Amino acid sequence: MIEFKGVHKTYDNGNIALKDVSIVINKGEFVFIVGASGAGKSTLLKLLMREEVPTAGEIIVNGFKLSKLKKREIPYLRRTMGVVFQDFRLINSMTVFDNVAFAMRVIGASNVEIRKRVPYILGLVGLHHKARSYPKELSGGEQQRVGLARALVNNPSIIIADEPTGNIDPELSHEILELLTEINRRGTTVLMVTHQIDLVRRFHHRVIKIEEGCVVSDQKAVPACPVKSNIEAAAVDIAGIFPFEEGEHYEF
Amino acid sequence: MSFSSFRYLLREGLRNIWQNRFMSVASIGVLVSCLLLTGGSYLIFENINHIFSWVNRQNIAVAFAREDCTDEQLQVLTDKIKGITNVCGVEFISREQAFEKYKDAIPEALREELEGENNPYLDTFIIEFSDLSKFEDSIYQIKQIPEIESMVYDANIAKSLAKVRSIVLIASGWVIALLLFVSLFIIANTIKLTVYNRRLEISIMKSVGATDAFIRVPFIIEGMVLGIISGLLSYGLVYLLYSRLYGMFGIGFMGGLLDFSSVWHVILSGFLGIGMLTGIAGSAISVGRYLNVEGGISGVI
Repeated sequence: MIEFKGVHKTYDNGNIALKDVSIVINKGEFVFIVGASGAGKSTLLKLLMREEVPTAGEIIVNGFKLSKLKKREIPYLRRTMGVVFQDFRLINSMTVFDNVAFAMRVIGASNVEIRKRVPYILGLVGLHHKARSYPKELSGGEQQRVGLARALVNNPSIIIADEPTGNIDPELSHEILELLTEINRRGTTVLMVTHQIDLVRRFHHRVIKIEEGCVVSDQKAVPACPVKSNIEAAAVDIAGIFPFEEGEHYEF
Repeated sequence: MSFSSFRYLLREGLRNIWQNRFMSVASIGVLVSCLLLTGGSYLIFENINHIFSWVNRQNIAVAFAREDCTDEQLQVLTDKIKGITNVCGVEFISREQAFEKYKDAIPEALREELEGENNPYLDTFIIEFSDLSKFEDSIYQIKQIPEIESMVYDANIAKSLAKVRSIVLIASGWVIALLLFVSLFIIANTIKLTVYNRRLEISIMKSVGATDAFIRVPFIIEGMVLGIISGLLSYGLVYLLYSRLYGMFGIGFMGGLLDFSSVWHVILSGFLGIGMLTGIAGSAISVGRYLNVEGGISGVI
């Protein structure tokens, strides 16, 4: 579970990134975090990963009180979460297998565990046949699936996806979202920061919108209804289910 | 730490050296130069000590007993001189023995006249000292003994050697300290470059929850291996250079040069120790600074 209680964050240069943010994200939820550039989304993620500490307020993640967390305890907090980056962050000199195995090696997993777990996870993201390929030989969508496999391999209870579809084309973005939804269906909490409104509209998850450091809307997930076409999706938008105003634009 | 982790970290450390081979070679070069100078200073210092002990063996003081000393008093006097801390050897030459020894130097006409009661020689003590730097103090102590008539000695060699030794000790101390600092700086910069080249991996490691200690290990191994290689290379070079010098000046010059076999273990362990410590400290400084100040998960690339 993730809980933000009246969180403020002001950087040393005086820039106010978050103002009185209070959110509760329960275990097993899928949440989109949306907002324009500079709205405070990145700060929110940095606070979650304990790269930054709040100026005021408290954050609790998987039972860890982040403001009281000692430096040496931070790695253990991070082991409860998997991070997916917009730029994939794959190591080009390593094969797909080794990229995923890397995440296990650095937390001290044995070779036996690695040989068992990595093929399973690669199978889960549909890349078992690419285990020996290098990142440069893969498409953007495939590279992101490797990134997702790496985030999943240590069996985290939360996946933090920072614009995971920002660098891939729309069709493949859809695949990544379906994969994340499937992972969520299996019980993992997913927190995804995105600019891509069309994806948010297609997948009916909870949406938290941030503007100028404040949470301006928190739209709970609606029961999933099969979306058959773009026209139907548009009809859902018009019905005003999602908290976007007409003509609103986000940077891509 | 599991065996798999240890093997992985060791491999990563060695991979760092290979991937960053130009800087690794540069670091080894600088560290070898520093170690060679350090070893050179040490060998000069030890050779001065060696010459010192040779001079010690050559340098003696001669003390003459008062003419009226009885045999018993002479025995007491011998014990008194032996009792002085810095004295390592006392040879007694009686008046009669001295006359026998040097009578050839006396003109034949006078020889008979001077024999017996008119013997011009005094009872003599030839005294050796263990520490030349305390030479003058010891001479003073002997002179204070009432039964001593006079002394003959040359404090100049002892004085100047003691001076040279202390200058070499101070100068080599400063040179070694300075060179170690330079080595540390160079190694730290080499590792800094490796850290910079591997910042993507470090950011991933941090994001999946690797501890700082785990992230540090490959870099520490890199620094340590660079230090060991430098130490071994330096030892080989010092051995070759010193062997050539020994071949040229080894025997005959002020007691000869110090034999390498008596110092090889000090030089080898010193080089390995200094090399490893410099490597480890250099790595620890660089990677520690990166982890504490610069390196985060997001936005590092």
